Amino acid sequence: MTKLIKGTTRRGALKTLAGGAAGAASLPLWARFAEAQTSEPIKVGFQVHRTGIGAAYGRWYDRTTQAAAKLINENGGINGRMIEIVAEDDGTDPKRGAEVVEKFANQHGCDVGFGTLFSHVVIGSAPRAGELKLPYFVVSEGHHVASGMLNRYTLQPGITDVKSQVQAMAPYVSENLGKKVTMVFPDFAFGHDHRDFFTAAIEEQGGEVLEHIAIPPSETSFTKYFPKIPRETEVLYHVMVGPAVLTFVKELGEFFGPSRPEVFGFIDSLEAVDMASPGLEYLDGTYFWEGNPRHAQEDQTEFDKFFREKVGVDERGASVSDASDVSTYAHMFGCWETLHILKAGMEAADYKGPDDRPALIEAVEAMTDMPESNEHPQGAKRFNGKTHQVFGHQYISRVEDGFLKRVHSTSIEDTLYPDEVDYTTQSF
Amino acid sequence: MNHRRARLGQVTGCLRRGYLGPEEAGKHLRFFSVKISISALASLAVVAGVALSAGPALAHASEQGFVLLLPTDVYIAAGGASVGLTVVLLALLPPGAAEAVFRTVRLWPASAAFRHVTSCLAAVLLAFLVWRGFTGSRDPSVNPMPLFVWTVWWIGLVTLQGLVGHHWRWTNPWTGPAAVLARLTGARAPWRYPRWLGHWPAVVIFLAFAGFLLADPAPSDPARLAAYAGAYWYVALLGLVLFGPAWMVRAEGITVLMRIYARMAVLGRDRGRVAAGLPGWQVIRLKAPPLALAVFTLVLLGTGSFDGLNETFWWMGVLGVNPLEFPGRSAVIVQTLAGLVACNLGLIGAFAGCLWLGERLAGTQRPLKQAFCLFAPSILPIALAYHVAHYLTALLVDGQYVLKALNDPLGNGASLLGLAEFYVTTGFFNTPGTVKLIWLTQAGVVVAGHVIAILLAHALALKDTPGTRRAVLGQAPLAAFMVAYTVFGLWLLASPRGL
Repeated sequence: MTKLIKGTTRRGALKTLAGGAAGAASLPLWARFAEAQTSEPIKVGFQVHRTGIGAAYGRWYDRTTQAAAKLINENGGINGRMIEIVAEDDGTDPKRGAEVVEKFANQHGCDVGFGTLFSHVVIGSAPRAGELKLPYFVVSEGHHVASGMLNRYTLQPGITDVKSQVQAMAPYVSENLGKKVTMVFPDFAFGHDHRDFFTAAIEEQGGEVLEHIAIPPSETSFTKYFPKIPRETEVLYHVMVGPAVLTFVKELGEFFGPSRPEVFGFIDSLEAVDMASPGLEYLDGTYFWEGNPRHAQEDQTEFDKFFREKVGVDERGASVSDASDVSTYAHMFGCWETLHILKAGMEAADYKGPDDRPALIEAVEAMTDMPESNEHPQGAKRFNGKTHQVFGHQYISRVEDGFLKRVHSTSIEDTLYPDEVDYTTQSF
Repeated sequence: MNHRRARLGQVTGCLRRGYLGPEEAGKHLRFFSVKISISALASLAVVAGVALSAGPALAHASEQGFVLLLPTDVYIAAGGASVGLTVVLLALLPPGAAEAVFRTVRLWPASAAFRHVTSCLAAVLLAFLVWRGFTGSRDPSVNPMPLFVWTVWWIGLVTLQGLVGHHWRWTNPWTGPAAVLARLTGARAPWRYPRWLGHWPAVVIFLAFAGFLLADPAPSDPARLAAYAGAYWYVALLGLVLFGPAWMVRAEGITVLMRIYARMAVLGRDRGRVAAGLPGWQVIRLKAPPLALAVFTLVLLGTGSFDGLNETFWWMGVLGVNPLEFPGRSAVIVQTLAGLVACNLGLIGAFAGCLWLGERLAGTQRPLKQAFCLFAPSILPIALAYHVAHYLTALLVDGQYVLKALNDPLGNGASLLGLAEFYVTTGFFNTPGTVKLIWLTQAGVVVAGHVIAILLAHALALKDTPGTRRAVLGQAPLAAFMVAYTVFGLWLLASPRGL
């Protein structure tokens, strides 16, 4: 059943979005602040990976989320109400994730759920969010939202999905690095996504994958797999993750020496690892996808500068208080951007309380282009209301003396693919 | 226990693909050899020193990658060899050498002053934590309840108890309130603790605690932990009121744990005075524990070992789960509990088997039960060393969250310590130098624990069986067991982990 509420049409929502933002901005700061302090806060249930396999990411997702919430509150909150982040640890555990979503809805009186990263936790939690009619804003970069396997209450407006990321790499790889590719990937869902999406994308560019080398997830030595790499390989595409990544790089260097093919990887492998670490010299001259350039570039935008300053991250993507504490820079902007979208959506829907949840979802579904700004420091975005997935620029960086130098930015169009679902046809 | 997950590790780091060249690895080998030659004293100094020096310096999640690049094979071999050489050394030294190492210095007069006052304060603190657990932040890294229970108490205070002295006499939250109740009501414990139960309830309670720690899907959830801790506090107090002090020292698992670890401490009581000696000095002065307490000691080690084992790629392989996409604790509750029980039974079986064999070799006619009770305390330093080594990384990270919580205990934005802008860091897990330092510290603790265990076992054997030759012969299987356990413990530290 669709409830008709003021501002639930796309056009209406957009109008409100523009008007609300302008209206809020026209109030003097003290007035917005005063109202914010007297109203009930908007409770954002933050499903954070505090423990379990995702804890390293969880720490930075938390830091970014807290920084964004602080900023929003300093600027008067949402519709004059403060944001309160209610963080619950999901243990990076899908079953526990569903329980946490339940606590948000039934125990803590949260207006929305937010912030989940690991795909299996999203997939485990989203059905419960749908049943409880709790808007669930994930920051996972999985393709599960856009693939249609979830529900109308689950949205991913602040981070792009792996399918668009991977396919957007193919034009640059085939034009600049080579057309004959060998892929090395871990043999489970994460690696299979890369295998499937990239193979299709490179073939569309007239290239081909010579060999798919699937590595068992528990493997810790890789030398025996390298002879499978065909001699005519022009590009080696790798997406290894887990504790053995550094060993992988080391053994790759031992196997190939200086005469190697071009090497292209995803920064996920080395997220939170300092590129200047001894042992990683071999990666000099290789290429990485980056969701958001970790190292501040020469043409750094004021928005990126602002984002780093607020989160407390230096120009090398490390904590301002400890240069060896490298952030998960390629992903964590997603929390920042999602919270700002939540604010825009709530203001557009004139969100008052849980009854307005469908209106909030419709308001976000109505969003399209979002310009690069302090709210979107990673770059401009385009939201697809039907698939509940955002699309945005992707970056390719080349390692130069331990510095990740951006050499290519994809267009948003490079990242688009045909819709696989239309969630707006589902009732609330 | 937030970041018990923060660990170092991997199994096959070897010289071939090591971070260090053969020369540097050799240096580490020599490091271990030198330690052996100074034997016990040096090792003990390592244990004590480590506790003091491993303060916040380094720590995070990519550390496993760096550990994989360390020549851990060489370190493991060196660690095993140093424990093995201690055995040889003891066989060659005159009888009494081991015991001499445990000589003590008597210090100031012992006292238990103010213990009821401090115990009442501990109860008040616990009440505050339970209240915060229910009403404070839902985030286990912010709420003081899980931070205090898992980091301050389980890691910090248990370690202090084992390394320094019996602070639980003052810091337990029960004896003070019970004394106050007795004073107010004038009543004495109405029931007698059933003697036949012995220490067995403590074994069961500790295993239940371990099951919660290792298998529960959310042991750090503030409200859940507050409910368990509050309920347990009440039940234990009830036991103390109904059965008197016998309940505390025999049935209450936490107090039994604390008292048993206090036997490893540098400080202890000797004829009315506080005395200091090498960790373990109190063990050889006590008479052999009853069977249940001996089993409790083994369970401490078995549980500690499984705590490390259940995070390894190896264990996940046994369970058939992908370590890079761990399905979460709730998916493996039964398996974890089964593993915990199996690991403890396996350890008890192996230990008893070695003793049985030793008795046969030496020709001593002790019944197995007697030998088991005699030698079980020699396991204590290993259990304590595992505790310290296993949780060192978690302490480095969660200790920072504790500081933040102390800075703002009520979650109202206070900055009592001026740490409002302090960011928790795990950067020390991201650089090879600090990862190596952390790993070698952990390995040093494990090796030192085993060296002390060997010394204790030797001293205990001589106490019971005069004649070095017989003692050494009877001890041989147990010594082999301890060398093997050293290798196992170091392998655990070096293994890749999926958590």
